Amino acid sequence: MLRTSRRTVIALGLGASLALAGCSGGNSSNNTSGGGGEGAGGGTLVIDTAFSLETGDPGRNYVPTGNMMLHAIYDTLLTFEGSAEDEPIPSLATVEQNEDATAFTFTLVEGRTFSDGAPVTADDVVFSLTRVQGITESKANFLMNGISVEKVDDTTVTLTTDGPSLELPAIVTNPALSILNSAAVKENGGTTGEDDAAEDFLGSTSAGSGPYMLDSMDITSRAVLVPNPEYNGEYAPSFDRIVIRNVTESATQLINLQGGDSNLAVDLNGDQVAGLGEGFTVSSSPSAQTIFLLVNQNEEVGKVTANPKFAEAVRYALNYEELLQLAGEGSEQATGVIPPMFLGALDSGVTPDPERAKKALEDSGYDGETISLQFPSDNPVGGVEFTPVAERVQAQLKGIGLAVDLAPAPFATEIEPYVNGTEAFSMWYWGPDFADSSSFLPFGPGEKVGLRAGWEAEDDPEIAELVTAAQDATSVEEREQAMSEYATAMQEEGPFVPLIVPGLNLASDTSVTNVQNNTNWTLDIPLIQPAG
Amino acid sequence: MTSTATPLQPPRFWQRWPLLGYVLRRLGTSVLLMLGVTMVTFVLTALVPGDPIAAALGEGAASNPATVAAYVEQHGLDKSIPERYLIYLTNLLQGDLGTSIKTGRPVATELATAVPATIEIALGAIIVSLAVGLTLGTIAAHHRGRATDQVLRVVSLLGLSVPTFWLAIMAYHTFFLRLGVAPGAGRLDPAFTPPPTVTGLYTVDFILGGDPVGFFDALAHLALPVLVLSLFTIGLLTRFIRAAVLEVLDTDYVRAARAKGLPARRVIVAYVLRGASLPILTVVGVAFGVLLSGTVLVEAVYAWPGLGTYAFNSAINLDLPGVMGVGLVVGVIYLVINFAVDLLYGVLDPRVRLA
Repeated sequence: MLRTSRRTVIALGLGASLALAGCSGGNSSNNTSGGGGEGAGGGTLVIDTAFSLETGDPGRNYVPTGNMMLHAIYDTLLTFEGSAEDEPIPSLATVEQNEDATAFTFTLVEGRTFSDGAPVTADDVVFSLTRVQGITESKANFLMNGISVEKVDDTTVTLTTDGPSLELPAIVTNPALSILNSAAVKENGGTTGEDDAAEDFLGSTSAGSGPYMLDSMDITSRAVLVPNPEYNGEYAPSFDRIVIRNVTESATQLINLQGGDSNLAVDLNGDQVAGLGEGFTVSSSPSAQTIFLLVNQNEEVGKVTANPKFAEAVRYALNYEELLQLAGEGSEQATGVIPPMFLGALDSGVTPDPERAKKALEDSGYDGETISLQFPSDNPVGGVEFTPVAERVQAQLKGIGLAVDLAPAPFATEIEPYVNGTEAFSMWYWGPDFADSSSFLPFGPGEKVGLRAGWEAEDDPEIAELVTAAQDATSVEEREQAMSEYATAMQEEGPFVPLIVPGLNLASDTSVTNVQNNTNWTLDIPLIQPAG
Repeated sequence: MTSTATPLQPPRFWQRWPLLGYVLRRLGTSVLLMLGVTMVTFVLTALVPGDPIAAALGEGAASNPATVAAYVEQHGLDKSIPERYLIYLTNLLQGDLGTSIKTGRPVATELATAVPATIEIALGAIIVSLAVGLTLGTIAAHHRGRATDQVLRVVSLLGLSVPTFWLAIMAYHTFFLRLGVAPGAGRLDPAFTPPPTVTGLYTVDFILGGDPVGFFDALAHLALPVLVLSLFTIGLLTRFIRAAVLEVLDTDYVRAARAKGLPARRVIVAYVLRGASLPILTVVGVAFGVLLSGTVLVEAVYAWPGLGTYAFNSAINLDLPGVMGVGLVVGVIYLVINFAVDLLYGVLDPRVRLA
């Protein structure tokens, strides 16, 4: 009796589970109640990424997933095509600068329209850019600091700055400075003041001129894009529907890709892409992030670390190739504070020299005391976990007689002493605010990151001058020279020891092609096309 | 002779309505407890080291004085802890749980999406756990000391011991990737559009919207996370129910029922399980609370945008209103469960409501 009922229970349980699961094993993309723009013929593209999505409002966005999504929906004045980031190219406008690099005149490309068919005009440009200036609580607000926007005529806008600003063309490529349909946004609460209330509207629909439109968005789970039927730019939409899903676990992203539940995974680490095998394409390249060591120059904070010889000892004690082994596909040794894809980056990094390191440590006044290495332990960058890197740094420094103990903490806790400059010896990372070398000048003495290392401008006037020279350059050649000299000097005398530029791995199945990464928006969605 | 007897006092209302009095007493206690939860959560959150503004804004924006000032003012971070608590409590009484520092959206709105997602898998898991645990626990007790009992005890111990994260990954790899019998991660197939929100539970909302295809897809996506999540509670309930049933099996009235020749099944259902219902009810309540507040790992693996994921993201981003919102929700969940369990105790056992 009981034996029979037990069998029944087990059979029922298993049967129910498998029947349920079997209802939609694999992909069932035949049923959709989603609406949207006209079909583009490429079917559905599913992208898995760990969301940092916070808003659908370009003017309030300053997070990677937001950049990725918004770049497909909105156009900026200038842009980059895929991974080619050496110089911005026209998107909605062409640009001309004056000799001083203080005035940049943008002339709109003829005939471009928004998704409702309205033409893109200078008024839209002025509204969109001044709106970002008005939203003081926006994380992107700082991008427009010191920039004046002025309409010249219906197709021309001038952006002016107080001093030379050769980085301005790169700044305007940022998706936060997307050009919005001003009439539609104003109708829905948009203003150029602090009372702007268009965020909700822009979170459920879009008002751009990009190849895709926002169909729906849930910042916790997924965003759905559909083709923009009015699009008349260079990158015509290729897919009928794009679903960007929030999959925080890279292991799940891997299984989804292998099982055909997604077409593209953004956050796989080097080990995971190495084991993908045939049937998948991996685009691996160094990211624009740099993982570095900070050696504080403030004697009150760091004591012995404040001696420049200490930083020299650390710099030449490390075996960078061994550190790189922890970083996986696409990663490179950091050759300096400027990552390899930017103007002024150095060709090669530091070569280890244990003897020089030992001598420098001796000269620094180090007397065997244990130095704490602080770092955020819960925030991998480009798949690189900080804890194993810190452990290896600890072991390598032990080789020259420098005793280090590890002091990991959560990012949210550790960022405060880092920003306040109270860490003696720490490991952090830095990424650019926009795709330009000037994003790495803050490492200089008296600059934002320099000050976090207790490094004042008067501590190294020569490098401070190089920073100024790079900021004030009015031609690309002059700027490249200044950036290169700055990067070289930083490698010789700076209180930072750049370690690794983590890789960015974009893994896709064979159904898609032309998958390219970009510093600004991680994945260039408009470029992706169905294979064959 | 005159009578000195005092007239009879009319019974007070709780004497006349003991169950109602019991409910009101429990309700009062719950409100006080909730107030304590808000206070403890708020103070602990406020004392956590770190800079929520820097964590929320990131490098560029955190060095922009205008943005920092706007954030500080918007979130009242320049006020003292007692001041902030009073403001928080005042807003809370009006249904306002504050604004997320990270996203700038109302915490109530964000929780309204996250909580139903978790309730959906937790409900599924408690139903599966109860059905399986009740069956296995009763069978184990019935076969006390025999091979079946030993096997079930080992199985339940395994359920309690297997690391959830590992199990979730392995189950996903096996049933989705290798066998192809389970759907992919998330609450729905990418081809589907979520149903219009009524309850936030996709399965229910699809039914209410008259979309059977969507319902079955949502149900299929529930299967793996529910099974993985229920394994721990199956182990817990099996062991507990076995012990509770064993206790009742030795009572006189069960022996008498068996001596009278009643069928074993009837004895178990009508006598044993009924007798063991109170302790079982308690552990089911606790298990449901654990399920609702402990889903973070399963949610991470199955890309399930629920309370666990929200709690984790709020914590790592120092999103104080988000953390407090989660604390409040978890507190309310436990109180509601306890209240419901106490209420059922009162309904099932008259001695409880008169105590």
